[in-house]
Amino acid sequence: MSDQSPRFSRARLLVAGAAGAGLAVGGIGLERLAASDTGRSRRIPFHGAHQAGIATPAQDRLHFAAFDVTTDDRRELRDLLRAWTAAAAEMCEGRTVGGATDPLAPPVDTGEALGLEPARLTITFGFGPTLFGDRFGLGPRPAQLADLPLFAGDELDPERSGGDLAVQACADDPQVAFHAVRNLARIGRGIVVMRWSQLGFGRTSSTSRAQDTPRNLMGFKDGTNNLKLEDEQGLAQHVWAGPADDPKWMRGGTYLVTRRIRMLIEVWDRASLADQEATIGREKVDGAPLGGRHEHDEVDLTARTEAGEPLIPADAHIRLAAPKVNDGIRILRRGYSFTDGMDNELGQLDAGLFFICYQRDPRRQFVPLQRRLAQDDALNEYIKHTGSAVFACPPGTAPGGYIGSTLV
Amino acid sequence: MTARQGVLAAVLGAVALALAGCGGADSSAESGGRVVSVALTDAGCSPAQLQLAAGPVTFEVKNEGAEAVSEFEILDGDRIVGEVENIAPGLSGKFSLTLSPKEYTTYCPGGDSAERGTLTVAGKEAGQASSRSRAAIDAYRTFVTGQTALLVERTRRFVAAVRAGDVATAKSLYAPARIPYERIEPVAESFGDLDPAIDARAGDVPAAQWTGFHPIEQALWVRKTTDGTSALASKLLADVRALERRAKTIELEPAQIANGSVELLGEVSKSKITGEEERYSHIDLVDFEGNVDGAQAAFKAVRPILAESNPALAGEIDERFAAVDEALAPYRRGQGFVSYTELDATDTRALSRAIDALAEPLSRVGAIVVAAK
Repeated sequence: MSDQSPRFSRARLLVAGAAGAGLAVGGIGLERLAASDTGRSRRIPFHGAHQAGIATPAQDRLHFAAFDVTTDDRRELRDLLRAWTAAAAEMCEGRTVGGATDPLAPPVDTGEALGLEPARLTITFGFGPTLFGDRFGLGPRPAQLADLPLFAGDELDPERSGGDLAVQACADDPQVAFHAVRNLARIGRGIVVMRWSQLGFGRTSSTSRAQDTPRNLMGFKDGTNNLKLEDEQGLAQHVWAGPADDPKWMRGGTYLVTRRIRMLIEVWDRASLADQEATIGREKVDGAPLGGRHEHDEVDLTARTEAGEPLIPADAHIRLAAPKVNDGIRILRRGYSFTDGMDNELGQLDAGLFFICYQRDPRRQFVPLQRRLAQDDALNEYIKHTGSAVFACPPGTAPGGYIGSTLV
Repeated sequence: MTARQGVLAAVLGAVALALAGCGGADSSAESGGRVVSVALTDAGCSPAQLQLAAGPVTFEVKNEGAEAVSEFEILDGDRIVGEVENIAPGLSGKFSLTLSPKEYTTYCPGGDSAERGTLTVAGKEAGQASSRSRAAIDAYRTFVTGQTALLVERTRRFVAAVRAGDVATAKSLYAPARIPYERIEPVAESFGDLDPAIDARAGDVPAAQWTGFHPIEQALWVRKTTDGTSALASKLLADVRALERRAKTIELEPAQIANGSVELLGEVSKSKITGEEERYSHIDLVDFEGNVDGAQAAFKAVRPILAESNPALAGEIDERFAAVDEALAPYRRGQGFVSYTELDATDTRALSRAIDALAEPLSRVGAIVVAAK
């Protein structure tokens, strides 16, 4: 469709009400709604020095998809990234993809987000290790993008791991996030195939000081001590590839690690409250670290009981994950609770944490942290890592550019 | 066999009939039609009397504040040939259709004095096909007639073996008879009663009405006998002969031909790649290829029209047909294919994705060949 085609705002359609909902994508003469800052109509700008969806406030819902590229033509890959970027920018503004549709052709936009607010949609793209090398002549893979080592207890399913390309769509409305992945998959048909996909229904991290700390499916507050977007210095130090980092095309980008962590819900639910709190190292209800009184109290790793035992046990999750015992290592966590219904083999809930983290170099951040956790964390009794992937997320782009233009 | 007769009827019924409300801002211009504005008022349709020349036209319908009226229809006798619904006050919508020289009725339900109006169309029948369209129509009809003739011939031999009680020969003649049918399936579906009679699967129709290929397939492969299939065999032959006769008169516009090719790939996705079509003989990959061959023949018929306006898309579709062929190659065995039961999830996923990759660009062809006419 031509660039002159009128664009239609999903938000405006909502205002138009049910009457508009009966109509299809094109052909409705409606203007865009003026931007508003309240509720689900809030937008997060797609364009910028960094990609959105990383150090922007974590939304409530996730649809993550990993794709494999089926073409061996570098031009086709570049065209796809251009088309994806253009579509993503439209969707994040709350507009339909591609403008008006010829009535005799299938609708360009699939339509299920008509009438829905932008819902702070962000779409973040990443490149997997398998994209590099001779395949497209993209040069060597960044050293930071090394394969993750196998950690103790890993039970990784190859069908839920890896991938050439990553798309992380986050929004406050699950249908908006789904719509984004569906339309990108459709645009990519013939160039990419979906390798795996994960829906997340509740954020488990706060990435802004303005956000409350949410609870994970174990019922505990998670991510209290996460990096926050207000902490620009921390982000520059721990998350963004810096101005002297190699490769050059990644400067302003960051490295993404995803882990599908299945929780053994049934087993966890049989553990006593005291055991659960000792496993995590926090009080369940108010989130205070053991020995503390409030959620944000500093974690005192040296505190001891009257009997001389550490108040926060030696194998408690927050002790092993604390920057203090990890040479100051920090990562930006952005995970989501998930469920994929029931595990047909065991008849148990298939649910857990889809762990997402961003960092400047997984070899120095996620890997040593996870190595320690995989070895000693008391939580391991109740979890199983079933999927794993690592991606290089290039810097953001200005209007007119495309994500990945620094590389492809 | 599918339950999509409704979709097909819409496609066959009126080529240029647009789906209500879907009209893009510039689609009518692309189609070379005129634009006629109509208002919904408390009275009903405004104007109530319309006089237009035959040919393609786009109606733009605006509700100027009528609370009780929200719909505009154009009727040819009792048949709705175009409509737009849910136009609340302040909203507008549009639809396109090709008008023939005759008198239509306009209908704005809820209007108090002009609920019904007339639309008088003068002039010559529109849609005189260009020579390229003519060539596409003729090429595809030649294909369809050739396939229906082949279907009758092969079904005759298959039925003869069934009637002779020769299970082994009947089984060997079953797949060859299915192929021409699968190649022209959407055409058969356009004759509402014939497709279920020939191709219904168990459960698609009441058990007492289950006829055609599949109950015989069940007898041959499951019960391993031809007992009790004689009447079924006779009816099957009569039905494919009826199909052959009726197909001779069929006149498909290029857009219908293009959409038919997409439907054939939909058949693959829906029932072949899932192993549901040939649930006793498991020759689903034979049907798979039949559908793809049929889609390719339909595409070839309209390709010259497409190539003129969008050669890149034509080239892309060619490549993706080739990719489907390549994806099928590992499963070929002699003249046929491996049994569906030998495929695992990795195999079916790769095949399914090759079809999706082809069907996506193919689905854009119909609109382009209409616009090019």
